[in-house]
Amino acid sequence: MSQDGKSHLLPYAQRSDFKVARANELTGRDRRFFRFLEIVPGVAAWSTIIGIILASMYAPFFAAYFIIAFSIYWVLKTIFLSYHVRYNWKRLKHHMELDWAQMITRFDYDDFYQLVIFPYYKEPKEVLEDAVRGLLEAHYDPKKLIVVFAAEERAGKEAEQLAQDLKSAYGETFGHFLVTVHPDDVVGEIAGKGSNVHWALQQVKQQVIDPDGIEHKNILTSVFDVDTVIYPHYFNCLMWFFFTVENPYKSCFQPVPLFTNNLWEASAVARVMAMSSTFWQMIMQERPEKAATFSSHSVSFQALYEIGYGQANVVSEDSRIFWNLFVANNGQFEVVSLSYPIAMDATTASSFWGTIKNIYRQHRRWTYGVENWCYLVYHFTKNKSIPLRQRWSVALLQAEGYWSLVTNPIMLFILGWAPIFLGTREFHETVLSYELPIMVRNLLIVAMLGLVVSSVISLSLTPPRPDGHSRFRYIVMAVQWIMVPVTMVVFSAIPGLDAQTRLMLGRYMGFWVTPKREK
Amino acid sequence: MNSGPTINILPQKHRSRFFWLLVVVFLIALPSLIFYTTGYRLSFENEETTIVTTGGIYVTNDKLDVSVYIDEKEVDRPRLFRSAYYIQNIQVGQHRIVVQRPDLQTWVKVLPVDAYIVTEVAAFNMPAQPHVRPITRFTTATGTPIYRGMTASTSADLFTKATATVPFATASSSATTALVQNEEFIYAASLFSTTSTSSQSVFERILDQVDRFTFATSTEGATTTASTTELERVIRGDMELLVRDEELYATWLGSDRSIPYYFCVNDFNTSTTAQRYGEHVAEAIESGRTATTTRVFVDDNRTCRTEIKLDRLKKDVFYYNFFPNSSDLVLMQLTDGVYVTEIDDRAWQNVQLLYPGEDLQVVVENDVIYLKEGDYYYELVTEIEPI
Repeated sequence: MSQDGKSHLLPYAQRSDFKVARANELTGRDRRFFRFLEIVPGVAAWSTIIGIILASMYAPFFAAYFIIAFSIYWVLKTIFLSYHVRYNWKRLKHHMELDWAQMITRFDYDDFYQLVIFPYYKEPKEVLEDAVRGLLEAHYDPKKLIVVFAAEERAGKEAEQLAQDLKSAYGETFGHFLVTVHPDDVVGEIAGKGSNVHWALQQVKQQVIDPDGIEHKNILTSVFDVDTVIYPHYFNCLMWFFFTVENPYKSCFQPVPLFTNNLWEASAVARVMAMSSTFWQMIMQERPEKAATFSSHSVSFQALYEIGYGQANVVSEDSRIFWNLFVANNGQFEVVSLSYPIAMDATTASSFWGTIKNIYRQHRRWTYGVENWCYLVYHFTKNKSIPLRQRWSVALLQAEGYWSLVTNPIMLFILGWAPIFLGTREFHETVLSYELPIMVRNLLIVAMLGLVVSSVISLSLTPPRPDGHSRFRYIVMAVQWIMVPVTMVVFSAIPGLDAQTRLMLGRYMGFWVTPKREK
Repeated sequence: MNSGPTINILPQKHRSRFFWLLVVVFLIALPSLIFYTTGYRLSFENEETTIVTTGGIYVTNDKLDVSVYIDEKEVDRPRLFRSAYYIQNIQVGQHRIVVQRPDLQTWVKVLPVDAYIVTEVAAFNMPAQPHVRPITRFTTATGTPIYRGMTASTSADLFTKATATVPFATASSSATTALVQNEEFIYAASLFSTTSTSSQSVFERILDQVDRFTFATSTEGATTTASTTELERVIRGDMELLVRDEELYATWLGSDRSIPYYFCVNDFNTSTTAQRYGEHVAEAIESGRTATTTRVFVDDNRTCRTEIKLDRLKKDVFYYNFFPNSSDLVLMQLTDGVYVTEIDDRAWQNVQLLYPGEDLQVVVENDVIYLKEGDYYYELVTEIEPI
């Protein structure tokens, strides 16, 4: 892009390294520094794990005291997070009962458009139809919707035709209905959702926004995974928050993703993982200063335009867009919690092992979001306009998040027993050695009581039981939470460690498309 | 008009307060739990609240449903480990440990408990009433052992000392046409025909061997001392059983670091060790320091022997071997029966009678105890269902 082509960008977004994704895109000292940053998370995680093993062998008393301290910390953290979940649950339920359409009547939003982008790959027809159905059932003027189905050229004509068929059927219903096709093998891109959305935004500007003279400030852009089915008042709720927040053009709007579209068809493992992801987002809703955007979310087109639509060369594009905006706006950008749901698919497959594999790969992709830490720390050293305290705070907070995601479950459920098996003879003779497993077990039981809260909340968020499903499934759904210690290790810690190790070794990941419902 | 979302985001002030509350809880809980897991306890005795130091006792046992008593007080059933008891909050000092079940022999030991340290012990309980599985020359077509050629008086003599663990049949006839030859009987009989069990005690047999090799030495130059030891040598893992000077010993052959706990005492001092574990233990360590046949080593704060003398109840030993699936227990055929003893000699060695009788031969093969009494063959059964 020429310098002239960058004139609409914010000053910091005009830097050549603004959209850096990997160390090898830089040169010299910057390259070495970025590579160092890529290595840090993996080294930190492995050092912790190996450190505990070594400490258990050579300093078992220290390791035992550390594990006790960590177990107490975990119990208190569980209590702390459960407090957030419970509060957000109340807020979510309340927001779902509000008449948002009535609430926004006091605002003048006639000139506003909702740009809705559904990037997709080879998802089946019914997934796309469900997405459109959600828009049709929304309590919002469909003529104010710009609907974009963003296909991939590499998915073939058949995939594109699905969107064209929808356009034929519903094109007249909405204000605009656009089908874009992201070309294959664009130099500098990673094939995936991020590059597809990037392309679609450019196309919609050229084909709709500019020709119709729609002001960028009057467009709210929602980038939805194609399995997203919005709740009826989503756009009203979004508008309410847009008009009431302090800096609407410096804000991303994050709904709560409920992975419930296919919850009754999903296996227990898939349900636990889906609901765990929902709970994590509910927690983040109550502490948005620690959050980045995740999955489906909304932001003004103006903000996106000012940074050149984000990056087309990263895996975790949903969060990276926030960090792009944060860095480009000198730290003056925030996530606004909508506490209003959107429905999405739980990750499943036709077989149990297929489900396990898909969940693992999806979580590895999500946890590869650690690449964002490298990005933001790199730019924190460049953009001195961001207050120093904020830079340190965000960097450390994010680092702790990625470190604990990988290490905490392993430390708690596996390494907590290491001194007992690896400790010295002197350690094994002590009361401490015998009391340690009892103490850790008791603390974990206390922590697991938080799962009761999870179980109750998850049942309240479960869609009505469809015909053909036994009531017995409710009992399964209630007790399925006992799997959490296993799922935390298998689907959070290990894929996270996998992702961080790949980044550490420079074996960069590509985008893996989570399969949606089976055709 | 309703103009607000009515529920605001969780206020930062509430979050901060809750966070700092949890920090305080952490700061209180951490030292408390560390002190607790280390062995400190609050004592409310004598109307005073004091902090006392405690230790623990860890009792392993391969039998289920046994009762464990510490100082005559029964302890709760284990939760963490099925066949092991970890008893917390034991005050420093000597404690009497009893492991029992109504149908099993009682195991008793008095051991010291030190602050912050867990005293480990392995209890064993043999059946109170001997249990055997008959091995007959023939079985019925359905596999039932059968005693042939039995009269009313000979039938009455069967199983007077023991309980049969499987049903058996008797027949007055000696006919075998409808019966099946028992391969196990042939195997058991072959064991007794090839083993060294005899009416001579182990010590007498060794003396005989010494005489033979002494004779041989004069002609062939063999080393008698080594040869006599080799004759009665039984090894399992790193533990060896051997006879020396008309005594039976268990000797540790493995590395010093992996020596079983009962070979060692903490902070050795002759008088305190004698008080805590018995004079025989203190003497064994003292004499082991100067002995040429064994050794004593010091590892950190503990002093370890490598040899323990087994209690043979001052009777002759006719056969010895490791108890099946154990290197801590020894099976001995003494003058008046078959016994099981533990190697652990702290306080004393529990010796339990497995089968009484003088006209016996016993062999342990493939972790099965075969017994021959007169013309009858049995397997000695040590695992019995609780009554």
